[in-house]
Amino acid sequence: MTDRIVANVTCLGCGCACDDITVVVTEDRIADARNACALGTAWFGDGTVPAETRVNGRSASLEQALTEAARLLSGANRPLVYLAGDVSCETQREGVAIADRLHAAIDSLAATAAAAVLAAQRRGRAGATLGEIRQQADLVVFWGVDPSARYPRYASRYAVEPPGVATAQGRASRTLIAVDVGDSRGPAEADRRVAIAPADEVDGLGMMRAAVQGRAVDDEERFRSVVELARRMTGARYVAIVADSEPGLIPADPARAEALVTLAQALNGPTRCALSTLRGGGNRSGADAVLTWQTGFPFAVDFARGYPSYQPQAGAAALLDGGEVDAALVIGTPASLPEPVAAGLSRVRSVVIGPRASAATFQPAVAVDTGEAGIHEGGTAFRMDDVPLPLRPSLEGGVRAAFVTVRTLRERMGARA
Amino acid sequence: MSKPTRLRIAGGTVYDPANGADGVVRDVCIEGDRIVAELPASAPRLDARGMVVMPGGVDIHAHVAGSSVNHARRLLPEEHAAEPMPAPRLEDGAVARSGTGGTLPSTFTTGYRYAGLGYTTAMEAAVAPIAARHAHAELDDTPIIDAGFFVLLGNDDYLLRQLAAGEGARARDYAAWLLGTTRAYAIKIVNPGGVAVWKRGGDRRNVSGLDDALGSSAVTPRKILETLAGAANALALPHPVHIHCNNLGQPGNAATTLESMKALSGQRAHFTHLQFHSYGGAPGKGWASAARDVIAYVNAHAEVSVDVGQVMFGAATTVTADSPLEHLLYASSGRKWVNVDIELESGCGIVPYAYKEKAAVAALQWAVGLELFLLATDPWRVVLSTDHPNGGTFLSYPELIRLLMDRAYRDERLKGVNQKLLAGSALLDGLAREYTLGEIAIVTRAGPARLLGLKGKGHLAPGADADVTIYADVADRAKMFAAPRYVIKAGTLVVEEGQLRRAPTGRRLAVRPEYDAAVTKDLKRFFDEYASVAFENYGAEPVA
Repeated sequence: MTDRIVANVTCLGCGCACDDITVVVTEDRIADARNACALGTAWFGDGTVPAETRVNGRSASLEQALTEAARLLSGANRPLVYLAGDVSCETQREGVAIADRLHAAIDSLAATAAAAVLAAQRRGRAGATLGEIRQQADLVVFWGVDPSARYPRYASRYAVEPPGVATAQGRASRTLIAVDVGDSRGPAEADRRVAIAPADEVDGLGMMRAAVQGRAVDDEERFRSVVELARRMTGARYVAIVADSEPGLIPADPARAEALVTLAQALNGPTRCALSTLRGGGNRSGADAVLTWQTGFPFAVDFARGYPSYQPQAGAAALLDGGEVDAALVIGTPASLPEPVAAGLSRVRSVVIGPRASAATFQPAVAVDTGEAGIHEGGTAFRMDDVPLPLRPSLEGGVRAAFVTVRTLRERMGARA
Repeated sequence: MSKPTRLRIAGGTVYDPANGADGVVRDVCIEGDRIVAELPASAPRLDARGMVVMPGGVDIHAHVAGSSVNHARRLLPEEHAAEPMPAPRLEDGAVARSGTGGTLPSTFTTGYRYAGLGYTTAMEAAVAPIAARHAHAELDDTPIIDAGFFVLLGNDDYLLRQLAAGEGARARDYAAWLLGTTRAYAIKIVNPGGVAVWKRGGDRRNVSGLDDALGSSAVTPRKILETLAGAANALALPHPVHIHCNNLGQPGNAATTLESMKALSGQRAHFTHLQFHSYGGAPGKGWASAARDVIAYVNAHAEVSVDVGQVMFGAATTVTADSPLEHLLYASSGRKWVNVDIELESGCGIVPYAYKEKAAVAALQWAVGLELFLLATDPWRVVLSTDHPNGGTFLSYPELIRLLMDRAYRDERLKGVNQKLLAGSALLDGLAREYTLGEIAIVTRAGPARLLGLKGKGHLAPGADADVTIYADVADRAKMFAAPRYVIKAGTLVVEEGQLRRAPTGRRLAVRPEYDAAVTKDLKRFFDEYASVAFENYGAEPVA
């Protein structure tokens, strides 16, 4: 391959899915990922991935690996399919087809945001695509999160700095408020800070909603600053509330997630408001979208009865932990797996197809290394706000593609796409 | 029977209104994926004696795929859990795909259900351009039917800027570019200007009429309608601009609807889910039917076409780009609610809903839809729809057909509904009309195919697509249309003896009009200045 520069590349390092990366390829290695943040630079790396195919720890042909994978999965009583990180929606669709055929349980990285997803299923959501927050928001409230750590370019690309059609001066057109929830602090550069104790958070959000709706609120000192914030929000033209839906310092709390949704909804009475729920990378939002359109449910789906049923309390980690699963198919990067899932996989026979499959710590029975979506192969990925983006491989053709490999396995198992 | 490359549908009673066949006993011959004039006597036969033969159904307006539909699916796990759909077993032993039902079925289930209903073509009615890639991916997973989508225009910042600047030609080039780059089929306008106002925040929540200015006095709903209707006609698109008027669902909105139609007088335009736009009365002062006035205008103006958007009693989900409307529904119903503001383009609002016979407004809506159907004089311009799943799901089409064909049944149902708001409605006065099978064939296939400009659809002349539906001729028309005996799609027998037997892939329907490429330079600048996605990554074209 020749040296080249590929522009408008989408990065899957986090859920921001920045699509303005320029990848410089020199001697078949990524020499630079321009515009990428530190997370993105690490995600692109130099583009090298292992290219091993192993059965029971020994090198094997792809044919041998897929034959063994099909045998192992078809013979299982209680198979599990897991959609891990760094595969395209096209590959995820193949994975769901396999799960449907196997009557397997299927889960994905989207489950890490379960509390927020379930809250949205109970109450709905008041949201916006990230670009509309950029166009409109004159008041941005970071609720217990500083996006610079896990979503480094969120502020520069979407909610804070860039000018929009109704926010012509960019940062200067907006007021930034950091809500510090215990040690979960908002950004340092906020115009104002408000603090609330974690134990008071859910009640505080409820109090804010009451204030927005013009209902009576307690005049307690511990809620005074958030109630004042609620009044300030009511007076803004367009409010964005930014909260992290991935696990962090604050344990995932369904009541908290729901209180954020209902506050954002209530603010649309007196003014406009969008809640931006931050989600991680690796195209986990794509897994959520694909599973939803193919089954009606966003994660933790079980095909055991021959049709999709929703088991949000019994996702992959719980099934593995309960010893129910006797074989698993992981599609994607094993290093992206949540720790309880990875730990559970060490106790069952598994097949891993994806980038760095051979580096899986849980000793899969079959490991097939593939390229990484967005680096070695194309397709589609979803940003955290469900905006679909094309993937532009900068090193295509150098390694085995995940999509083709999973499709071949699917065909071999007699499953329909 | 193996997949037929040739098939003679023998001795059926054929309703092919585009070719003047109104219940004529004749054979229909298929070779490959086309209708042909004749086949050798040795060709395989399907005995259709005593059965009704029609072209495959064509749905001109339904919400079945894409970002807003998927938001709605995600919102309704309880509906999906209540209606599991095991994978159908196909003829060769192959197992198809499982799924879930409810008002927003999963993609595979959507395709199977359409086919099971004798529909072989459907148009997804509202796709935000930025999510076009998503809509195509879902349609790829929606088997059997040929499908396309309408792309949302009319609240998008770039278009409104061109109107403010008086750049009509550039607006047209932009529309043409957008249709091509998103691989869309037609231009859809939803609440022109109203969604943009809603997103902007501040004191105004919506527009209220055709001449409400948006910032510049040059930008009004009227101007948006004129520009995009003009663009669709100048580009000679197969389907004219597809319009969801301002003030949907508001009492007194018939005045806005008529004004919108008059604004485009003399130009082809399609006004969608007309039922939701045909109310008299006034906000805060009560509701009444204005169906008579609205359909009278449609009857008198050949350039206007409509689909009805009938309300059917039972579960529904309102899902629309008309996000200010959905906020009103949320505020009044207290149900769960999704709003998504879509950058620089559009909106999305969702509220689950149920229409009850005993509810006065729901009963009025039901009656208004039936009035529109029964007072229409030209069925070629009045298409059957429920605005699936807004007025009810597409699975309720057979029941709607029975209401149209069976006056005794209709009158019986009328007795059971809340009549508080029906005073003065033509339905309460008594409408004797019963649709014939020939008219049903027009409003469910021949008419929508013609209005969509689908030359191979909706008829059975040689050269037409071999999309054919065969029904048992039973007196209960709801039963008849709910379960066709045979459905043939592109020459493949997909339903046999009422069972889904094959699930081939459907085709995508899209247009690619020409435009002056100079517009893309300006668009690139606009994207660089405001958009959150790269110009080069926008749309739904494959990337290199």
